[in-house]
Amino acid sequence: MIQYVARRVGTSIVLLFFSSIVIFCLMRVIPGDPTITKLGGSIQGVDPRALQAIRHQLGLDQSIPEQYVHWLGGIVHGDFGRSYYSQFPVTTLITERIGATAELAICALVIALGIAIPAATLGTIWRNRFFDALLSGFTAIGLATPAFVSGILLIVVFGVKLGWLPTQGYVSFEAHPLESLKGVLLPAITLSIVVAAPVLRVLRASLIDVESASYTRTAAGKGLVRWQVVLRHVLPNAAIPALTTIGIVIGGLLGGAVITEYVFARPGLGTLMVDSVYQRDYGVLQALVLLAAAAFILSSLVVDLLYGVIDPRLRLRVRGEAR
Amino acid sequence: MTTVAEPLIQARPRRRLRFLSQLARRPSAAIAAVVFAAIVFCVVFAGVVAPYSPNSFDYSHLYATPSWAHPFGTDELGRDLLSRVMYGGRTTLEIAAFAVLVAMGGGAIWGFTAAYMRGWVDEILMRVADLTLGMPVILLALVLVAAFGSSTASLVLILGILFMPATARLARAALLSELETDYYLAAISVGTPPWLIMLRELLPNTGPILIARASLVAAEAIFVEASLSFVGLGVQPPAASWGTLLQKGYSNLYQSYWYPVFPGLVILVAVLSLNTLGDHLQRVFDPAKR
Repeated sequence: MIQYVARRVGTSIVLLFFSSIVIFCLMRVIPGDPTITKLGGSIQGVDPRALQAIRHQLGLDQSIPEQYVHWLGGIVHGDFGRSYYSQFPVTTLITERIGATAELAICALVIALGIAIPAATLGTIWRNRFFDALLSGFTAIGLATPAFVSGILLIVVFGVKLGWLPTQGYVSFEAHPLESLKGVLLPAITLSIVVAAPVLRVLRASLIDVESASYTRTAAGKGLVRWQVVLRHVLPNAAIPALTTIGIVIGGLLGGAVITEYVFARPGLGTLMVDSVYQRDYGVLQALVLLAAAAFILSSLVVDLLYGVIDPRLRLRVRGEAR
Repeated sequence: MTTVAEPLIQARPRRRLRFLSQLARRPSAAIAAVVFAAIVFCVVFAGVVAPYSPNSFDYSHLYATPSWAHPFGTDELGRDLLSRVMYGGRTTLEIAAFAVLVAMGGGAIWGFTAAYMRGWVDEILMRVADLTLGMPVILLALVLVAAFGSSTASLVLILGILFMPATARLARAALLSELETDYYLAAISVGTPPWLIMLRELLPNTGPILIARASLVAAEAIFVEASLSFVGLGVQPPAASWGTLLQKGYSNLYQSYWYPVFPGLVILVAVLSLNTLGDHLQRVFDPAKR
């Protein structure tokens, strides 16, 4: 088991290292000189020596490998460099805004899993054609609905028409817990559709798969009631493929958050990212993309380690290898 | 020699006919095909079908709610939104169509090369594909827009590149299973030149799987283009696409809440029908998905 964990953590670190190289190189492809951004759009009439000084200050006069090593060295110490646009340290910008994104992501995940898992399980217990068709319809529409479409529809109905909930902005949870939750409700529902649809799809498929397994028939044959069969035998076995999807979805939450935050004007990491693309602020952009890559790699690592806990076959196989 | 090769070629499964009969058996897929065909028809023949010119102003009907005269309502300049959605679809579908060509063409070459060469070439090509597959598509799209700008040509290229790795993986798997078949072996043994085997045996048999995939890629391309345009980083004014119409509607939400609803629903319906069609095609053509 220890060997399995060590190997899995090792590959994750290597993967993150390669991602950082790819991201860094990609950022250097972006046309436009960040010194121009810093000087407010134009370098005409600027003293070349002053320009040189700024380049030196930003570390842009070094070679690209040198710049990379410098950047990576900073990250290891928790320093992501400075924004080329606002001059603030990137770490400050991120910590300022991570609250809005974290609140949104957690609420969306709770809603999505709170709907998807019971719905798929009930569908299997009931075996009701109408309910199944309802779930299929929800999955298909959920997969095809961009977050901005569902977000706008929610704003139109609950914000503009009924006026029940706020549709814009963010109130921090520490300041006003109730207001904060009211503000996060619509964005969280929007994002939860993006999350719930793929989870529901995979979970239902694997539930159907496990249903035809011989041990399911045995469980029913030894006289268990339908819900006991499903909860004790079908669901635990079907959960394993669904776990992979949940990991992928969690790792990709930042991607979904970009659009959702934009629709609801939440000052989170997603809007920060869109702004940094507008401003060609690659100091911020590369940190955010690296963060997204790290989130993705971390969530798939956690899922893989959970496999080891949940699935005894995997644990035994690895132990067998170790001997 | 040719007398030996002939029957083998005829033994190839007739997938085209099966596709048609299966489409009739599955009503949701048939409906999806009809709906998407209708959308494409309206967009391509917008000049004939659209009730108004997309640019004719009508200052007496600003932000009109949907009515028989203007089924989707009108915008901030009194332009008919139904007509604007039809014309805007040209940009959207054009970008999606070319992006699909880039993704399928590039992905097929990428995957076929990997499958054909095997060994270290295969290893490198597939590891590169894996590296990009992990990231959320929309984030990569934003970075690539920052790098290459958002002209129509670069949007096509960006979307094409984004969907290439997944296509490459599929193409590789499809070709690998073809290379194991008896008729491939037979074709080699009768001395058919490799390019002819590719043309007559391998492409016709892997093609349908790739076409099913193309339908799903088209759906994703519409989805991502609309997302980019919605945050203002996709199609740039004065050009209009479904995404930019939605963006305009969104910023005028408090003047007329009907404005963004229909462009949004059209995007939803287009993506939904392409997804349904693609899922169905995959079920028909891809033995692994059946």
